[in-house]
Amino acid sequence: MEWASVTSAAIAAAILVVHLLRRRSVTGTSKVWLLMGLGVFPILTAGTANIAGFEATQSRKFCGSCHVMIPHAEDSGDPKSLSLAATHARNEYFGEKNCYTCHKDYGMYGYVLTKLGGMRHVYLYVTEYRTMPLEESKHAIRILKPLPNANCMHCHTTNAPDWLRVPDHASSLASVRDGKLSCASAGCHGFAHPMTKLGKELASDGRISR
Amino acid sequence: MKLRLPPSERLLRIACVLALAALPLMVWSLFDPTVWPVLIALSVGQGLGTLSFVLFLVAVGRDLHVQRKLATRIRPLD
Repeated sequence: MEWASVTSAAIAAAILVVHLLRRRSVTGTSKVWLLMGLGVFPILTAGTANIAGFEATQSRKFCGSCHVMIPHAEDSGDPKSLSLAATHARNEYFGEKNCYTCHKDYGMYGYVLTKLGGMRHVYLYVTEYRTMPLEESKHAIRILKPLPNANCMHCHTTNAPDWLRVPDHASSLASVRDGKLSCASAGCHGFAHPMTKLGKELASDGRISR
Repeated sequence: MKLRLPPSERLLRIACVLALAALPLMVWSLFDPTVWPVLIALSVGQGLGTLSFVLFLVAVGRDLHVQRKLATRIRPLD
């Protein structure tokens, strides 16, 4: 995909440079060339670059490119970390797209809603957090809504016999399914990004305050 | 006030310059897939690229219009 984008951009640029340098009057033939240089090849470049760009927005590198997300991205990419985010990132289903796989909206319009949420993040970053020191941002920035258990249940369906055999799962099944008890909490599997939590949060019982 | 567009040749040169600015912006995100390159590619890059193509269409459309006008004026002389 990348090579198609770069190649079509190079062809378009070559056509345009030749047109600018030759300084001849515009004829029917030159208009056809310009249709290629201003229309066909740039549209091909834009299309392929768009696909590659949207793919890139799902990567951990992209999420970690705002400085306030560096601790989250570094921890989840750390092969020695035992945080929930890092243990999931080591699973090849998550891999380099672990941020997106956990935080995306799994609904019908999930992709669009997730991208709109991302634009909101960019807006907040530019207007509020761009100059915030990292140590402060680790504790000042919180997810808008608690991570829904439905996202965990996309893989851990809560129906598998092995899963149900775990006593804590069986006893809290209803609370987990209706989202009253977060999977990613201190009382259960621990916070996904514990290094951003303060002591009192780490000691909480895992219930989601509503 | 009526907006006067530059002559078609100049319009096409402007379109070429705009497209030459847009293309690297669109491709930049492929080499550095972080927030700002991707956002700029999807906004400024696409915006400039679209504007350059629109200018091309305006120039071609205007030339066709002039050609048609000339054709209708010349016909009675035949």
